[in-house]
Amino acid sequence: MIKVKIIYFSRIREVIGKSSEEIYIKSEIVRDLIEELQAISSEYEVLKGKDFKICFAVDQKLLTDLDSSINGAKEIAFFPPMTGG
Amino acid sequence: MVGKVFVSVEEKDFNVSEELDKIKGLSSESGAAVLFVGKVRQNKQGNLDFLKIESFSEMARKEITQICNQSLKQWKLDCIVVKHRYGKLKPDDNIVLLITSSAHRNNAYEASMYIMNLLKTNVPFWKKEISGNEEIWLENN
Repeated sequence: MIKVKIIYFSRIREVIGKSSEEIYIKSEIVRDLIEELQAISSEYEVLKGKDFKICFAVDQKLLTDLDSSINGAKEIAFFPPMTGG
Repeated sequence: MVGKVFVSVEEKDFNVSEELDKIKGLSSESGAAVLFVGKVRQNKQGNLDFLKIESFSEMARKEITQICNQSLKQWKLDCIVVKHRYGKLKPDDNIVLLITSSAHRNNAYEASMYIMNLLKTNVPFWKKEISGNEEIWLENN
């Protein structure tokens, strides 16, 4: 188990009800982390991406592959598609 | 000459003239500066109270800087300024300022369009319209 900071933005933050949390996880890839979180409580089902696409960044690096490694990561962020500019 | 990049992500407004003045004299070869200012647009119903912009500011700065550094090389620019705001903004408030400066205008125009397109989709900002009791997260078309 490793301790990571998970950050939520925008609609995901509103559904989960918190902007960040530090938890111990056993997952080694993003896909497994999402499943691990969903086992905690139903709010995390938003991360399944049924209503909108889920984007994520590992240590502030934007990734698209759910099989991306989170080994050694300190911070993982989940957010909806970006709407800057 | 190596081009320069100035990036800021902050709540406070910017002054376009001041930002233009700051880059004067950076390169004697600069013959063009293209400016883009993105502003808060009133919604179709005309009842927008605020646009709330949420940001992952630290990552946004990194992403914008990376996009700008790549653009500097690709279009041989002298300078890029990006100032992106977050927080609670009213209709007609400034959201983003982009200045691209180069020897000739074509490069500055093309880079401006490229950078703005990426700012809309690849940098962690999210917009929410607040109109009376209604709150709507915006999506890119």
